Amino acid sequence: MPSMDEYCVQLKQAVVDYNRDQAVAIAQTIVDQGLDAQKAVFDGLIAGMQVVGKYYEDQYYFVPEMLMCAQALYSALDILKPHMPQTDLGLKGQVVMGVVQGDVHDIGKNIVKLMFEVAGFEVKDLGRDVPLDDFVREQLSSDADMVCLSAMMTTTMTGMREVIRKIKEKNPKCRIMIGGAPVTEELASKWGADGYAPDANNALREAIAMVSSLHEMYQQAQARD
Amino acid sequence: MEETMNARQRVLGLLTRRPVDGPACFSGMGNVTTAGLERLECSFPSVHADAVKMADLAATSFELFGYESAVVPFDLCVEAEALGCAINTYQDVPQLLYPTIRAKAIPRTEDMADFQVAADFLERGRLPVVREALRRLRQGYGDRLAVGSYMLGPFTLAGQLVELDQLFLLSLSDRRLVEELLHKLTAAVIAVGLSYREAGADFLTVREMGAATDILSPRAFQSLIQPCLREVAASLPPPRVLHICGSTDKIVALMAECGFDAISVEPKNNVRASRELVPPETLIFGNLDAFKLLVHGTPAQVTQAVEEALEAGVDAVWPSCDIWPEAKVENLDAMVAATRQRGAELWWRNHGS
Ligand code: B12
Repeated sequence: MPSMDEYCVQLKQAVVDYNRDQAVAIAQTIVDQGLDAQKAVFDGLIAGMQVVGKYYEDQYYFVPEMLMCAQALYSALDILKPHMPQTDLGLKGQVVMGVVQGDVHDIGKNIVKLMFEVAGFEVKDLGRDVPLDDFVREQLSSDADMVCLSAMMTTTMTGMREVIRKIKEKNPKCRIMIGGAPVTEELASKWGADGYAPDANNALREAIAMVSSLHEMYQQAQARD
Repeated sequence: MEETMNARQRVLGLLTRRPVDGPACFSGMGNVTTAGLERLECSFPSVHADAVKMADLAATSFELFGYESAVVPFDLCVEAEALGCAINTYQDVPQLLYPTIRAKAIPRTEDMADFQVAADFLERGRLPVVREALRRLRQGYGDRLAVGSYMLGPFTLAGQLVELDQLFLLSLSDRRLVEELLHKLTAAVIAVGLSYREAGADFLTVREMGAATDILSPRAFQSLIQPCLREVAASLPPPRVLHICGSTDKIVALMAECGFDAISVEPKNNVRASRELVPPETLIFGNLDAFKLLVHGTPAQVTQAVEEALEAGVDAVWPSCDIWPEAKVENLDAMVAATRQRGAELWWRNHGS
């Protein structure tokens, strides 16, 4: 019988090869044998997705391949998740995400979302062509740590400024990150966003930094009380 | 060289590879400007279903700054709407927004196999409006400028009808299903194109913008999309242009193989390298940033970009997507002027090699 390490290698490969059936079968075997589901997620699934991200950056994989890999990952994750202690998912934070009103370009947003989910964020995806007030409402009702806005057009991009203003007015501690091809670092800071990234990998790095600083702030505040 | 032709003669001469007095400054994609809308005193949402306004608005770019073509429609939803999608034209939104698909014609992939193009689809949605606008343009301006129209390529059109993520997944997991849909849509695109030509379009552009290598692999382009585009080119009378925006360096040769008279690319493409890969009989258009340059640039930068595009090897100075409405009129003036002033001299086809 293969060892746990061997299962992880196989699981990782199944994600990279976007072989959903294989990923599901291995995940099931791991669960059936009472092996470490958490290790399978981190050293198998997530390790596989890291390779996929690299392939995408190198233009060896493209959007369809990436989505297929994600599908294999999610299917195996569904099987493994119930066997992991909740806290072990390493939940990094809650994110509200969407493409602003008037804009249906959502391929980029979907990739950013994928990276976030794989890294352990809980993403509330509002979709594309999202009325500006919906972002504000969703942030307030869920008290998400972060709001991510995407726009691919110059006309729709300006809607972000309004969303940022409205959210900051109501909830100044919420972190807002914006992105999409026409967005620049300069615009992001001019409009009062807390973060910007040119692509999905940098977006993830930035998000982790932003949310940890936010959590530190909370902890410091609590320690003072 | 002395200017001896009017805009129409130059554009159509170029497209049919007859001798012309220099490269043209035109495009086969949208050319609405806010200046044009102001001139007609109408709002953007009001033009999409009104043949008279559509035609008048398309002609303003010729009248205001000498753009050498007039092109209708302005959005990418016309065929999709006729095939059953619901669209949003943002009637009540103050900022200028382009129409989008509100509801997909095939919301569930289970229904993809059964999807049929309705026998009377050419009479549905706004297809009759576009044809009427083409007729008006041809009647009103047919002696002076080239009248153009465009359709989406079969794959990009499929992405309007089906949830795009699902289409991507199926392209790898159930290739046959996707091929069958593309086959039906290829026939629909051809039918729309022929009806536009009959209504008065002088040339057609096929916009397969979902197929750039930012999104799809060159192997997917070759195996899934190229066969459809070949069929479209073979079934439409010349002149026809194939446009793909985004990264195209790795697929320009495949684009040329599709059999269009010209291919159109955006500034992400290295035209100098592409000119080597594409046979000389295929024209290359484009390479002028429709947004960064024409909206935010200065007339001097526009002049420089026009000269650089010509030196790199384009055959027409052609903004590589819809002109962005807020483009400054002085930039558009500079684009046309630079083409007229330096075009014949810089054009690679005039340099006997
Ligand atoms: C595919 C495409 C379409 C498809 C969209 C399908 C879909 N569901 O997304 C269709 C055909 C529907 C379409 C329609 C239109 N399009 Co279009 N389209 C494109 C195209 C070719 C590719 C975009 C893409 O998906 N890229 C690949 C992804 C992976 O990259 P990305 O989106 O940049 O995302 C990355 C980063 O930006 C970043 N990121 C993205 N979001 C976020 C968010 C956060 C928070 C962060 C941190 C990072 C981040 O990470 C992502 C991954 O690394 C571009 C051309 C181009 N060169 O980009 C034009 C383009 C975006 N379109 C354009 C235009 C003009 C239109 C239309 C108006 C045309 C028309 N006449 O109607 C319509 C608009 C419809 C509307 N109102 O939304 C223009 C926009 C011009 C401008 N600057 O404003 C472009 C740039 C083409 C051009 N060369 O001019 N389009």
